[in-house]
Amino acid sequence: MAATLAGSWRGLSSPLNITEAELDRVTPLLYASGSAALGWWRVRQTNLSATPSAAVLHQAYRLQALQSAIHEKKIEKIFRLLRQASVDAILVKGWLAAGLYPDGALRPYGDIDLCFRREHFQTAKDILASSEATDCWVDPHSRFSELESRSFDELFARSRLVDLGAEKIRIMGSEDHLALLAIHLLKHGAWRPLWLCDIGAAIESLPAEFDWDLCLGKNKTRALWIICAIHLSQELLDADIHPLPMSHRAKELPRWLVSIVLRQWAAPFAINQPPMSHPKPMASYLKTPRGLLKGLRARWPNPIIATVSVNGEFNGFPRLPYQLGNCALRSAEFFFHRLNTLG
Amino acid sequence: MKTTPNRTPATANGEPRARKDDLIVKEMPDEVLVYDLVRDKAHCLNRTAALVWNYCDGRTGAAAMTGRLERELNVPVDERVVWLALNQLSKNYLLEEQIVPPPLMAGINRRQMMRALGVAAVVAVPVVTSIVAPTPAQAQSCRGPGVPCNNDNQCCSLNCLGIGTNRVCA
Repeated sequence: MAATLAGSWRGLSSPLNITEAELDRVTPLLYASGSAALGWWRVRQTNLSATPSAAVLHQAYRLQALQSAIHEKKIEKIFRLLRQASVDAILVKGWLAAGLYPDGALRPYGDIDLCFRREHFQTAKDILASSEATDCWVDPHSRFSELESRSFDELFARSRLVDLGAEKIRIMGSEDHLALLAIHLLKHGAWRPLWLCDIGAAIESLPAEFDWDLCLGKNKTRALWIICAIHLSQELLDADIHPLPMSHRAKELPRWLVSIVLRQWAAPFAINQPPMSHPKPMASYLKTPRGLLKGLRARWPNPIIATVSVNGEFNGFPRLPYQLGNCALRSAEFFFHRLNTLG
Repeated sequence: MKTTPNRTPATANGEPRARKDDLIVKEMPDEVLVYDLVRDKAHCLNRTAALVWNYCDGRTGAAAMTGRLERELNVPVDERVVWLALNQLSKNYLLEEQIVPPPLMAGINRRQMMRALGVAAVVAVPVVTSIVAPTPAQAQSCRGPGVPCNNDNQCCSLNCLGIGTNRVCA
């Protein structure tokens, strides 16, 4: 998986040294994780391009090309509706991440992530619920937990306008966006290889005026997370991280982190991720404890998610304390929620 | 240039016209991708089919299209090639009106056409294929129970429930 996707975000990729049998094995994984078009991009100019697996990847690329064209029309429409109501919005992830690639069809996205001023949030939701906007899958945010120390005004001040059709689209600034992509990757346990490709694509296309201090922010732990995600893109996907200042270079990544990510990439399916991986809701065990042990085992946290959830550092220390901390947090949330429900 | 002996009008009511409405068209280096918003179907037109589709302006007949195609592809083109393209475009609802193929085209499919035209013409054989593939995994992170949603695909449970005026993931 890592070898197939290495450097896949570049216009001209490096040679791909995998066999047809290996491509056959990796194709379903690429498909399931939304990386099929990137797979096609990698094989398109190799002797694997005429194989049945390559044909499947090519179809994904074609579909994504159409989906991307459809999404762009929807983004244009949403921004027109918001502009008419004088509602400010900043577009993040999805289309913005797709723009980091040499071809917009390479990076699929399902919904349109928009960030609104808190005071505009309800108006925005009303607009999004209107009949004209119902065909647009918009995920409205008034904040991002990944960027919790950055206010909307700060994000807005650093955002910029780009043209899309007849509309001006406001997109998140490069510094904040790289921070968001990096922390989002770790927050979700880095199970989707596409997210690490996003970081590789972002780090290799930074604008000349990119401000690392803005990107890394004031929170030291989060800054280290961002640096860690960037190093991960180098380690697994051969990203060229030379824009990262030497003072921020890590000595090496913890081996457990690399091994956990690769283990997840062996089966990068959404169904393996919580809460879909949970056999049934925790509350149901209060009535019928049968299967509780299995339910608890399924809830044992991924070490990456556990580290982020307790604001931990990605270092060489064992993850058990972080995983226990994560369990304690979730248990407290569960019982608090139960008390509220019953009370 | 090989031509068929009996020229017929392109359609019973006039020359073919490409459908424009409710289509998303994406031009790629070697092909044209078309998404039919009405029928929710995606098609891939190879270069020859795309060229013929492009010629369908409601004024150009099959014979004139054959000449244009020859010049564009720089190979001899049989008029039946144009008819084969028109037939496929019509069957996939990419023309404003269904075409009526001339008698010489009745019952001829693409394979038979390739055989009849010979290997030299194969490069010019038009192909309109449907793009059918599993839906690529949604790129967004799935949402947990109680989180607002607009559709099922956004939810980890694949179930976006309407509760009052709001919709949340089950």
